[in-house]
Amino acid sequence: MSLEEPQDSDQDQPAVEGRSLGDELADLLGDHVLSREEHLNAPGFVIRPDEVQDVLFKLRDEAGFDHLSCVTAEERSNRYESIYHLKKYDDPTQEASVVVPTDKDNPVSQSAEPVYRTADWHEREAYDLVGINYEGHPDMRRILLPETWKGHPLSRDYEQDRPQVVPLREHANPLEDDHSGDGGDTMFLNIGPHHPATHGVLHLKTTLDGEQVADVESDIGYLHRCEEQMCQQSTYRHQIMPYPDRWDYISAGLLNEWAYARAAEDLADIEVPEYAQIIRTMGAELCRIAAHMLAVGTFALDVYGDFTAIFMYAIRDREKTQNILEDLTGQRLMFNYFRLGGVVWDLPEPRAEFFEKIRDFLDDLPEALEEYHDLISANEILQIRTVGTGVLPEDVAKSYGATGPVARGSGIDYDLRRDDPYGYYDKLDWDVAVEDGCDNYSRLLVRLREVEESAKIIEQCVDLLEDWPEEDRTIQSNVPRTLKPEDDTEVYRAVEGAKGELGIYIRSDGTDKPGRFKIRSPCFSNLQTLPEMSQGEYVPDLIASLGSLDIVLGEVDR
Amino acid sequence: MGTLLLQSQTQTPLVDTIAGLLGLDGLLGAVVGGLLGAFLIANVMLVTTAVAGPWAKRKITASFTDRIAVNRIGPFGLLIIVADAVRLMSKELIVPDGVDRPAWDLAPIILPFSALMGFAVIPMGSGVHLADPEAGLVYAFAVASIASLGLVMAGYSSNNKYSLLGGLRSVAQNIAYEIPLIVTAASVVIFTGSLQMSEIVAVQAEPLVTVAGITIPQWFAFVNPFAFVLFLAANLAEVGRNPFDTPEAPTEIVGGYQTEYSSIYFVLFYLGEFIHIFLGGALIATLFLGGPAGPGPEALGFVWFTIKIWAVFLFTQWCRSAVPRVRIDQLIDIGWKGMLVLSFANLVLTAIIVGVIV
Repeated sequence: MSLEEPQDSDQDQPAVEGRSLGDELADLLGDHVLSREEHLNAPGFVIRPDEVQDVLFKLRDEAGFDHLSCVTAEERSNRYESIYHLKKYDDPTQEASVVVPTDKDNPVSQSAEPVYRTADWHEREAYDLVGINYEGHPDMRRILLPETWKGHPLSRDYEQDRPQVVPLREHANPLEDDHSGDGGDTMFLNIGPHHPATHGVLHLKTTLDGEQVADVESDIGYLHRCEEQMCQQSTYRHQIMPYPDRWDYISAGLLNEWAYARAAEDLADIEVPEYAQIIRTMGAELCRIAAHMLAVGTFALDVYGDFTAIFMYAIRDREKTQNILEDLTGQRLMFNYFRLGGVVWDLPEPRAEFFEKIRDFLDDLPEALEEYHDLISANEILQIRTVGTGVLPEDVAKSYGATGPVARGSGIDYDLRRDDPYGYYDKLDWDVAVEDGCDNYSRLLVRLREVEESAKIIEQCVDLLEDWPEEDRTIQSNVPRTLKPEDDTEVYRAVEGAKGELGIYIRSDGTDKPGRFKIRSPCFSNLQTLPEMSQGEYVPDLIASLGSLDIVLGEVDR
Repeated sequence: MGTLLLQSQTQTPLVDTIAGLLGLDGLLGAVVGGLLGAFLIANVMLVTTAVAGPWAKRKITASFTDRIAVNRIGPFGLLIIVADAVRLMSKELIVPDGVDRPAWDLAPIILPFSALMGFAVIPMGSGVHLADPEAGLVYAFAVASIASLGLVMAGYSSNNKYSLLGGLRSVAQNIAYEIPLIVTAASVVIFTGSLQMSEIVAVQAEPLVTVAGITIPQWFAFVNPFAFVLFLAANLAEVGRNPFDTPEAPTEIVGGYQTEYSSIYFVLFYLGEFIHIFLGGALIATLFLGGPAGPGPEALGFVWFTIKIWAVFLFTQWCRSAVPRVRIDQLIDIGWKGMLVLSFANLVLTAIIVGVIV
């Protein structure tokens, strides 16, 4: 299936016969709607906190909003607010925001978890960082911070200077509940936070029945670095851009930067020159290849066991993209290359040499991929290990808000580069890789195929850049030195990161810093599917499933 | 067959040689010669392992994965062996809370010693052969199997769930694979009609065919390649290397039974594993590759034998770098449903063929 033409460029008015999507939804929701808001990306509906489930069920079942992309919580001057950013997997340009204001003194709102499973973690995060309580939530606990934390860091009355004195004995002792005295048939096992296969600092509380996983619960937050708050304290123009590199730090930096750039450019109405868009597209796809190489390499490592050839081969090829990215941006990991309105500098001189280098890499890539297929996907032992294990059915994946290769490995044909075009993607010829096996193997294949597609995109970008007239190489549009977007403008924008839908919500407050900066991390949503995948399977398959999710804890915990 | 039995050498060639050199005979000669011989062979194996563990393994894995590996200390980085020895022995021996003390301390000793004892009956050529009992093959398998006991002790006494899982896995695996291993070895015994190691080697020295003036000896790898492949695969499981390294499986159960061991205990485990691989290699060489046989004078036998066991070592490292690990349930499936059936089929077929032809 080839690239479809973008349907309707005006995203706020996709409905037929002059009636906006907002009006239609308002009719559908009827009395539930207290008032209307206009977010830059979607119509917003303010509803009562005790009607959340009614409204969301209606929107999901009758209007087809099957993707709860993100839950943003914030404290305003006179109220708390939870915003549910809804989308459709079939057409992510159709968006709706459900705004749930809650009382300042008693911030209790109905949980959306029965409607969208993904709300589980999102609402826990909202409770943890902002302090909104969700009624009917199955497990209302902190998620990023320790249970003993005092206060909610993103709430207005949070005392930042108050020391968090938490004696060791008050911390949960990970050995305490080992359930060894239960006399039951199960065994409790801590996988992580320091474990060779958790890809960072992730703690899986696993209950084993023999070698089979009876239950698994992820304990995250070990790498929480207050990224949202840091962005809220930084200026739009220059200070925020370095942070995205540090979310998904597996060399997917440019993809992350684009998420911020897209949201901020929409917010401040900044145009990006076509030339810069092509450079962005090329750089982003190089990052995607680098990220997928590492994902494939480490997945092989998880399944193969010992330090094996395939991991080093993947790193070897990833190194080539890193060299190209270093030439382009001057950095190997923390690129800080995008600017609002373009990129920071033009391609390196001599240009011919740079293009030559990319072309050499692209020429060698098919052979390298062939080698990967020989060593990984065509290997029969790997197939018996991965085919049919870690199964994530399509409807479950949707309910958990899975995106990226995880969703596409479950047969969900969803890629924001095509479905909600940005950059230069809609003018290039490439395909979205989808596999419908729903298992670990499909996710692996999707990543390997996406590397091929990214190579196609890069090649076309290089062709375009090579012939680009010299007098027309504008790398940045004119952007004011200080950006002060209009007060109370809200936007939620997402791009297709290496791991999936990376979204940014920004509410401006009239100053040069965001009033609320919320990151929708694809890994955060994807990781939630782990129990669904691994319950009843063997420990090795749990590890393989975790590897196939390709999480980066820097992005999960932010 | 009858004539072959007459060719059998002296019962304990190395012991006799040493005793002869010292001018001792009788019981004293046997004891002193035996002890010195054992000392010699054990040290040869330990040196081999010292070269294999810190150096050769790194170099081999590195060439599989496009790297260089150790090359800073000494020629070809060989002195890393000394550096590693000093490093490992100077590390703190951490004894975790709640370990089951005598068992926890004994486990790392049992492992290398069970493998070392196996070498007593292996004819390594050039007269290096410590003992040659009539049930030599059975003895070798029996002492090698003691290693499982060490693994279970380590897994159970470490008071660590990963260790426990590793210990359980290693027992399950060893039971599932030792039966095919021994049954396959039995098919060799059907050919030789003897369990005596020197006998098994001697039979293989017979010519199989002569092609264009080159005589191909009757190595059982040529006579019964099917049994050879079976034995090679079962041996991988026996020594716990990919695709059968589930008892350790660093990415799943961290390090299995050796998770809690550090310093010199860790060295002993590591040592035990490598000696075990070499013992597996020695058995393969003796049973299927003609033991110390090779071109050139008989004095070169030990060289040929060393080359053969290193070839098997290289093979295990190759598997380690290139073959994915199977899951524990799949491993047990392959063992009980595949290898066991195949090994018995091989045994029965061999018996029929030998019975009809001989």
